Amino acid sequence: MSKYLTFPDVIFKDRRLLLAALTDIGFPIVEEGKALPLYGYQGDRRPETAEIVLRRQHIGRASNDVGFARRPDGYVPIVSEFDRRTMLNGDFLTRLRTTYSEQVVQEVRRRVHGTAIRRVEGQTIQITVRY
Amino acid sequence: MPEIEFTIDSITGELQLHVKGIAGPACDDVARLAKELLGQPAAEQATAEYNLRTQVRPQIQARRS
Repeated sequence: MSKYLTFPDVIFKDRRLLLAALTDIGFPIVEEGKALPLYGYQGDRRPETAEIVLRRQHIGRASNDVGFARRPDGYVPIVSEFDRRTMLNGDFLTRLRTTYSEQVVQEVRRRVHGTAIRRVEGQTIQITVRY
Repeated sequence: MPEIEFTIDSITGELQLHVKGIAGPACDDVARLAKELLGQPAAEQATAEYNLRTQVRPQIQARRS
């Protein structure tokens, strides 16, 4: 045993892995740019801006845009209370975190030229990378 | 054989990783890579193995003249 690291609150630090995770959970179409405006379900422009945006047309009829604003430590999700409750049955952020974490594991495996064994036990996904 | 054990809680999305089989600060390379992709961890704990150092014996060879 050498070291433990714990990440209770995953920051979406890597843009490419965030986009891959969004695709994995069913949101492959995003807009990217600098300080893109976010719109509500009635087409009203919100004060928030983001660098990665899921437009509401690709989410659901009553949905608002979902954004990811770039901060020095990574991409921060901007999700309305409604969408937080309804997207993927309220599991949007959790599913995104989980899928992003799996993307991170695959990226580490690629970089260390290792092999991975994946096991699922209940709510726990365990992936061992050997190299 | 060095290995990294990742544990993801699918309810919370929390990720925990455990680097095994690498003595000494060499495992910092893996930790650095993880931080590059995940950001700063909430907790970081060196285990007993981390504190093992590879012993290096200096060898001196006589110069041929």
